[in-house]
Amino acid sequence: MTRSSLSGAGVATAAPVPSATRTFRRRNKRLKVLFPYLLVAPAVLYLMMITLYPGVYAIIQSFYAVKFGPWRPVGFANYANLLNDYQFWGALWNTLVIGSISLALQCVIALTLAFFAYRDPWVQGWRIIFLIPMLFMPSAVAFIYKLAFLDARVFSDILIRLGMIDTHLAIQSSVWMSRSLLILADVWQWTPFLFIIFVAALQGQDEEVEEAARLDGASWFRIFWYISLPLMKPVIVVALVLRAIDITTMFANVFIITKGGPAFGTETISYFIYRTGFKFFNFGYASAASVIMLILTIIIAQLVVKRAFVSSRS
Amino acid sequence: MASVRRSRGESHFTRYLILGAWAFFCLAPVLWFLSIGLRPRVEIITPQPIYWPTFSLDAWHMIWEDWPMAKYLRNSVLAIIGSVLIDLVLAIPAAYSLSRYQYRGRDDIGFYILSTRMMAPAIVAIPIFFLFRNFGLLDTIWALMLIYAAINLSVVTWIIRSYMLDIPKELEDAARTDGASDLRILWEIIIPAILPGIITASVIAMIFAINEFLFTLLIASTPNAYTMSVALANFTGGSDGVIYNAIALVAFLAFLPVFLVVVAIQKHLSRGLTMGAVKG
Repeated sequence: MTRSSLSGAGVATAAPVPSATRTFRRRNKRLKVLFPYLLVAPAVLYLMMITLYPGVYAIIQSFYAVKFGPWRPVGFANYANLLNDYQFWGALWNTLVIGSISLALQCVIALTLAFFAYRDPWVQGWRIIFLIPMLFMPSAVAFIYKLAFLDARVFSDILIRLGMIDTHLAIQSSVWMSRSLLILADVWQWTPFLFIIFVAALQGQDEEVEEAARLDGASWFRIFWYISLPLMKPVIVVALVLRAIDITTMFANVFIITKGGPAFGTETISYFIYRTGFKFFNFGYASAASVIMLILTIIIAQLVVKRAFVSSRS
Repeated sequence: MASVRRSRGESHFTRYLILGAWAFFCLAPVLWFLSIGLRPRVEIITPQPIYWPTFSLDAWHMIWEDWPMAKYLRNSVLAIIGSVLIDLVLAIPAAYSLSRYQYRGRDDIGFYILSTRMMAPAIVAIPIFFLFRNFGLLDTIWALMLIYAAINLSVVTWIIRSYMLDIPKELEDAARTDGASDLRILWEIIIPAILPGIITASVIAMIFAINEFLFTLLIASTPNAYTMSVALANFTGGSDGVIYNAIALVAFLAFLPVFLVVVAIQKHLSRGLTMGAVKG
């Protein structure tokens, strides 16, 4: 609107005042160059509120001891302590272990399900059923698993009835059982995310290639393994990257099901920062941890995410 | 030929065995949790789990009478709708700019927007907490609205951008030769053409906003700004422990509208979930 009316005015005044027209054209041209930047600027400025501002704030705060009183400068003490903090390293390790096992399971299961479902006449129905866990709030899913495994012990009870174990499992006192519980809840809720994407990718592939291979006598599995899967690679990478981002930030399940226990064995990095900052009010220390995570995030974003999304577009 | 038919028959059997097993694994916890919501509280945590409980609407009365559930629901709905509107106002021009113009730094700007999706809530939680505290926004739905919008802006922008890239340029060129301005083309041609994309982006943003947990937990410290998601985590009756049947019913209350909307946009879901990278 603005641009057309502006140029219209320029034309109208062109004849009597030539110099004004020139300034006007110049301004119009500058506006034309700036226009795309102006369109994207509000979104970028808004996003800086949750990236640049917190980043700078966290960096500054990480050089202070911040408890209840005034900020006390401590230099690099927060970072030095952090690098010697076995709980911080433990949290990184837990995030990595829980995240990678969970992601690998979800990927394999989703690919298997997608392989069986995408040619099925009832693929729509399967998709709707499989989608259901994903649509519950994470906090609700956390409570489902807390109740079934810890509070009401339904899972143990079923195993006892089936004669597989004799006494109730002491899940809360075992690090690996607690980790497995977090993994199970995550696999249950988020495998559909990958499934939906994989099915769409498989359905979008050229059927003629499959048919040709089929006529040559190749089995469905061979076609899938040698033709469909390589074609799907960029899609798989994008989907896994997105899933990996969310798994590494896992919080609600830890907060509700395990509280990071036993012995900090299920404490993820998100929970570590939350506990340090908002339970012990050690904000400077938590900020130092945030800064380290921020740096790791930026490196991973540059190395992995950029490539994944660029390759998927072509 | 016979062997082909046989192998197909076998694959049918394995296919339905595997898909059926996963369907059972998906649904069994859901149905069991529904039964938790419809049983009296004394039958939830027992020495022996009860598989055939007495039917009871205790929890239903409880969530409406003992808890300000209507308020939580209202908080959720207002914060989510507000955040989606903020996102659309910011994302549509941004997506238009990223998909329609050639200019220096465009790809970097686009990637910057995308990369904010990677931000872990825990990393930025502390500064955001102090920011909102300084503005007196803690414990208000305004703060939730702003933060949900920020979380989802990257997703919404990229989804809409992907749909805009699909529109043939000729459509615009025709209008442009008629003398229409860029903004007018955006408003009158592009937006109607990508309506499915806008709806998909809004639905995805809605789901993420409902699910958001950490920020809501920090920002909403009293029932004043509790949303459904965080209200659940606080459904502990003090010394009585966790009130599971109420939690279950609230979980289903939040689930139903999401489920209906998602079924309606099923075809666009994979594209929305991958921020436009996969065209389903």
